[in-house]
Amino acid sequence: MSGKDKFLHNDYLGLIVRLFIGIVFIYASIDKIVAPAQFARIIYNYHILPGNLINLLAIVLPWIEIICGILLIAGIYKEGSILIINAMVLVFIIAISINLYRGINLECGCFSVSSKAKESAVELLLRDIGLLILCIYAWFNRSRRFDLVKSKA
Amino acid sequence: MLIRIRQAVIITLFATVLAIIVNIASGSRIPFVGDWPSISGSDSVAVPPSAAEGDPPFVSLDEAAARYQSPGTLFIDARDTEDYAVAHIRNAINIPYDYIDDFRDQLMSIPLKQELVIYCSGTECELSLFLGREMQDIGYQKIFIFYGGWREWERAGLPMDKGI
Repeated sequence: MSGKDKFLHNDYLGLIVRLFIGIVFIYASIDKIVAPAQFARIIYNYHILPGNLINLLAIVLPWIEIICGILLIAGIYKEGSILIINAMVLVFIIAISINLYRGINLECGCFSVSSKAKESAVELLLRDIGLLILCIYAWFNRSRRFDLVKSKA
Repeated sequence: MLIRIRQAVIITLFATVLAIIVNIASGSRIPFVGDWPSISGSDSVAVPPSAAEGDPPFVSLDEAAARYQSPGTLFIDARDTEDYAVAHIRNAINIPYDYIDDFRDQLMSIPLKQELVIYCSGTECELSLFLGREMQDIGYQKIFIFYGGWREWERAGLPMDKGI
């Protein structure tokens, strides 16, 4: 293994990154699962989705987040969950960018559905880009050592 | 890659089914298709979820624009000064609700009979409602809240000012 591969496919670094992302997504999902109506309102305020899809997303998205988080930590269907998580983070980045461009500061709906939780769009964007970098690392990391179910992807 | 996609599809389907079951069974369930006001309709009046009886009346973009034409109407921007400084409705004054105590003098210099249209960012923001309530309590009699706010105004390309 070259030095680059050692870093990219490191068992422990892979595990730490995976645990971190998993915990972030589980934590992020809980408030939304508990209060879907508030989360729907936050999605509406992004003014991106057509009205009839808003509630459906508010119902389903938190469950995708929590299940991906759990699977990622456990190392079951890890490849599939990291694909979904990468896609989600990309979508979050696009959604925040659109509203940054529009000059609107809005409730993120990232970790909390309370309307007190208002961060600047630039901060949110930087946070999500940081998360995306970790997710991309997890995507390329091929360590299987700590997977409960070792798939061959 | 194929395995990744197959797994992702299975996870998504599983999560969707689970989410639907939980939403049907849960006490905090919401309808699968919500009734969200379209923001493109300029004659529809957006009303905040926390609006209560006795609140000042809410006006649509069309009505706000009509009142804007009448010289006796003062527009008040309830957003923070940084947001106001970026751009605001032309000739609107800034009274940030979150820092209202610093703007008390300016507020009190407005005659009680003045017709007012109060706005903030848009439907994610309730500063206009809070400021409207406060001014109603002070004794202002002609308050209108334009809840569609800056977002609708800007989208419609109506007159705006940049800077303070």
